[in-house]
Amino acid sequence: MKIILLFLILSLLCINSSFADDYVIVSNKNMKELSLSQVKAIFLKKLTFVSDVKVVPINLGLRDELRLKFEKKVLRMNFSRLKTYWTTQHYLGHRPPVSMKSQESIKAFVKKVDGSIGYIQAVYVDDDLKIIYKWSD
Amino acid sequence: MILYKIIIIFTLLFSFLHAESEYELGSGVQVGSLPFYVGGYFSVDYKNMDDYERYRVDDLAFLGYGSYSKFSYLVEFEYKELYVKTDNHGVKDTEKDTKLYTERVYLDYNLDENYMFRIGKYNSPIGFWNLLPVNVLRETTSNPMSSYIIFPKFTTGVSASYTNYKEGEFKIDLMLQNNDDIDNEYNNYQLDKHYGFGLSYEKDEYTYKLNSGYFHSIHDVNEDDLYYFLLSAKYETDNYQIQAEIGTQRTDTYFTTKYAGYLQGVYRFTQEHIGVVRLESYDNQFLGVSDDMAIVAYTYRPLYPIAIKSEYQFHTLHQENQFLFSFSVLF
Repeated sequence: MKIILLFLILSLLCINSSFADDYVIVSNKNMKELSLSQVKAIFLKKLTFVSDVKVVPINLGLRDELRLKFEKKVLRMNFSRLKTYWTTQHYLGHRPPVSMKSQESIKAFVKKVDGSIGYIQAVYVDDDLKIIYKWSD
Repeated sequence: MILYKIIIIFTLLFSFLHAESEYELGSGVQVGSLPFYVGGYFSVDYKNMDDYERYRVDDLAFLGYGSYSKFSYLVEFEYKELYVKTDNHGVKDTEKDTKLYTERVYLDYNLDENYMFRIGKYNSPIGFWNLLPVNVLRETTSNPMSSYIIFPKFTTGVSASYTNYKEGEFKIDLMLQNNDDIDNEYNNYQLDKHYGFGLSYEKDEYTYKLNSGYFHSIHDVNEDDLYYFLLSAKYETDNYQIQAEIGTQRTDTYFTTKYAGYLQGVYRFTQEHIGVVRLESYDNQFLGVSDDMAIVAYTYRPLYPIAIKSEYQFHTLHQENQFLFSFSVLF
């Protein structure tokens, strides 16, 4: 019995830790399917409309660990290079995406606003969100 | 014309005086809660050649931009060579140009996720260098010859672009000018016609571009009808960048510029310390001048929007060897 209990606890821990290392880019249900290239273009503000809806990319705070992972995996740019990018975009008349402090805020915003898109840990996903892209550490 | 420029500059200065406390250098400020952001840049530089020295306040520019629904706009006015002090073989001279030039004024309309239209005066979307032509944003104080002898830097008219994001980013640009320049003193060519197109493809670390076009110069000393062609390629990672451009320009009968190109490597030792090496070559048959050069440069950026740059140029035309130093800020 003890062995079975231990096995169940370990299994649950494994499931939990695998969720903790999974991340998703999410939008609300009205967003169409997007390629990774389109997601990158949205967060770099190159692509501002999708299916006639203005897209609203949302970042986490500047030094947030998940944001750094997202920038490395999806944008394929480090902090310094993105800083350079957004400074040059100021000269070209473009602003960086807005930031929110927590994944809960992003989740709530994305559910309410058509065209909004953000990234959160997979464990926070529910049925009201559409998963655009998923990645792991 | 002058009055509205002055009003805009006062608005910009007033906005900065009331900037929010979290203002970050190089990102501009928002005017109240309006879809209107303001910013600008300036640069000063020093040039030293044999028997020639120059101190210059090169740029002082103000820009404003914003977007609303499917529209966005940008205006930029600039003092160019506001103050220039030279010493040429012992002959000292000081010049001031207090005219405020119109560098860019345009309105964009995003039709959908693929098509965008623009009307006004804009940087011709040709090659890489021409899109970020201001001192603080480029890698060296000097510009490569290919960025100003092959094609018009600015176009006044309309443009259209088609962009497709599948595996990578594919873009087609069209430029059309069939009228006078909004401010033809502020362009490398005075022109009244420009028809150009560009193709670009970007995937991962690689970007390729091809541009070609025709323009009609109205300046007496140039040929009238000129055709250009430019190929560009770039490979960029977080730490380094390799970029090359090569172009040509001709009339109906002969090559005015047989070729002009460069190969540039940029290495970011850290976020603040950047090294640059550029090899350049050109053959301008209209002026009868050809030259090869190697440029070695170092840039210190205590913050990215602040650049302190130095470079030395070695030319095969030895009298053109020179040292350049500049200080520039984007605000």
